Amino acid sequence: MMKLKTAIAAGVLAALGATGASAQDKICIGYQLPLTGDTAQYGQGFRNAAEIQLEKFNASGKLPVPVEIIYEDSRSDAKEGVTIARKFVDNPCIVGVLGDFTSTVSMAAAQVYSRAGMPQLSQTASHPDYTKISEWQFRNITTQNQEGPYNADWMTELGIKKVAVIAEQTDWGQSVVAGFTKQFEADSGEVVFSEYFNRGLKDFRSVITKIQRSEPDAVYTGYFYEDGANFLRQMKQLGVEIPVFSTSAAYNPALINLGGDAVNGMKLTVTFLPTSDAENVKEFVSEYESRYGEAPGQFPAQAFDAVGIMLDAIVASYPDVTREKVRDALAATKDYPGVTGVTTFDENREPAKELTKAEVIDGAFVGIE
Amino acid sequence: MIDPYYLQQLVIGLSLGMTYALMAIGFTLIFGVLNVVNFAHGEVYTIGAFASLVLITAFAPPFFLVVLFALLVGALAGFSLERIAFKPFRRFTDEASLKSRAMREATLMSSLAVSIIVRELIELVFGSQQQQVPFEYLINDPIHVGPVVITTGDVIIFVVSVAMLVGLQFLLTRTHVGLSIRAVSNNPLGARYVGINVDRTIIMTFVIGGMMGAAAGILVGLYYGVIFPAMGFVPGIKAFVAMVMGGLSSIPGAVICAIILGLSESIAVTFISSGWADIVAYSFLILTLIFFPQGLFGAKRERV
Repeated sequence: MMKLKTAIAAGVLAALGATGASAQDKICIGYQLPLTGDTAQYGQGFRNAAEIQLEKFNASGKLPVPVEIIYEDSRSDAKEGVTIARKFVDNPCIVGVLGDFTSTVSMAAAQVYSRAGMPQLSQTASHPDYTKISEWQFRNITTQNQEGPYNADWMTELGIKKVAVIAEQTDWGQSVVAGFTKQFEADSGEVVFSEYFNRGLKDFRSVITKIQRSEPDAVYTGYFYEDGANFLRQMKQLGVEIPVFSTSAAYNPALINLGGDAVNGMKLTVTFLPTSDAENVKEFVSEYESRYGEAPGQFPAQAFDAVGIMLDAIVASYPDVTREKVRDALAATKDYPGVTGVTTFDENREPAKELTKAEVIDGAFVGIE
Repeated sequence: MIDPYYLQQLVIGLSLGMTYALMAIGFTLIFGVLNVVNFAHGEVYTIGAFASLVLITAFAPPFFLVVLFALLVGALAGFSLERIAFKPFRRFTDEASLKSRAMREATLMSSLAVSIIVRELIELVFGSQQQQVPFEYLINDPIHVGPVVITTGDVIIFVVSVAMLVGLQFLLTRTHVGLSIRAVSNNPLGARYVGINVDRTIIMTFVIGGMMGAAAGILVGLYYGVIFPAMGFVPGIKAFVAMVMGGLSSIPGAVICAIILGLSESIAVTFISSGWADIVAYSFLILTLIFFPQGLFGAKRERV
């Protein structure tokens, strides 16, 4: 009996040794993202961009072992996100995780990662509380605490006094309203109307009529491009001519494809413009276009940089790559030269990024001063 | 004189209700005959929209041809749906099987399965993002009626809904096919005894229901300019609620309830908040089930 136990113990040890050895053959990154469901287009964009970055990296020979990305489909569902997080944590090959897409899912999964000690870098979660969960959470996107005040100041400069705010009914949407309202009121502006809508709402006309009745100088909107295109088209249809401002979440070439003329004149902040002259942006845009037949929006660009930042952290902790070391390397990220601008993490693991003002003019996003 | 603001909200609610009604008509027709919920009706709607969009991008045909094409595709979709999800469960024609709950529940699940598979397939082929609709095909040019704005689409959807409703009532009460549909819906076994081809009648019902679903899909798609694989889900829920409120088998009842639903949602947005509008449909469903188990218009015995 004793012998049998020893034999099993020895076997288990041998098996553990074997996985330990194979972990050095390659290094894995987990990527949780929506690949099916209503938000699949975002996840597919992330994967497209991640593939470009990863292939470039593996071809560069910066590491003697290949890095692999394991994709898991979260369907933008928080429950699914938590299941994936547990799976990733149990996989000894994975030293760091990217994702998820929405703040809601990222934050749900973050609970698992913070307990298990797994570095998590979200390319898009912009809810202020996300990085407050633990020292294991990072993001490389500007938060609404940065973007809201920036837009509030911009609108105040333009002489706008009364603003109607609408945003989608999510963690993120609430942070859009909160971030903006605080600063706009501090600038002695007045928020005359504020309402949330359910994401994917088809008919905005009742809300638009309500906005019109509150007589604002401008509308500040927290939506993604599909809702944005609908909203703007229905504004035009109802003949409501109030200037519209938005966040970088609405920035996507598809906004113009879907909204047409109605999008012209919308002002927004962006961190990435595919028309930029920067060498790395041009290279990324042309590679993306040649592979996938369309220009990348801001979100694939975010993913491209997130993968790059993670890979750099892995290089910095090589040869003895552990989750702990990757986390420390991520925290030390300084002046990462990405396509969405230069990224440096501060002590709260928040990126300091520059925002650019843009406007849709004649069916194109144009950077403005 | 009513404040134009409220008038505008009423008009918006009315047009919202008409889009639900368009979907509810075909949905209720199929339920009325077979006494099963066809969960794949939302996908017939989506198929109609996607097929027409492909036609539009490929050939840019005139508008009425697009609608005609949607009808054709819908007929085919209804026919195939019946073959795949319903026919295999109608192997036994004895009275016990026809009235068994097992049969009803099996088709309920199979139609749900078909709906999921179709949706995922469309997503595989076209991607899950919203499709770009050529702007010249959109039916949302504004028309100013006094202080109120309506759109060309409101008029078209209204006319089509009325045409469907009148046409269907005519078909059901005045034609041979309609009479057989009503006979089958009333008593499938009895219909069989008097020489009605029950299988063919059921197929016909699916074909007609499919045509209406697909036409609704492309009309509402062009009305909002929003076409994507999951587009059938929300209207499907709304049509389902309208059908239950209307008494499960009364088509005019479903239409009236769809309009009530649209109006209530618009009123909810006006007085509460947009975030709460969706709860209206679900509350109506619950209230109807509690207080009017027969539905608001379902007191009569005869179905359809």
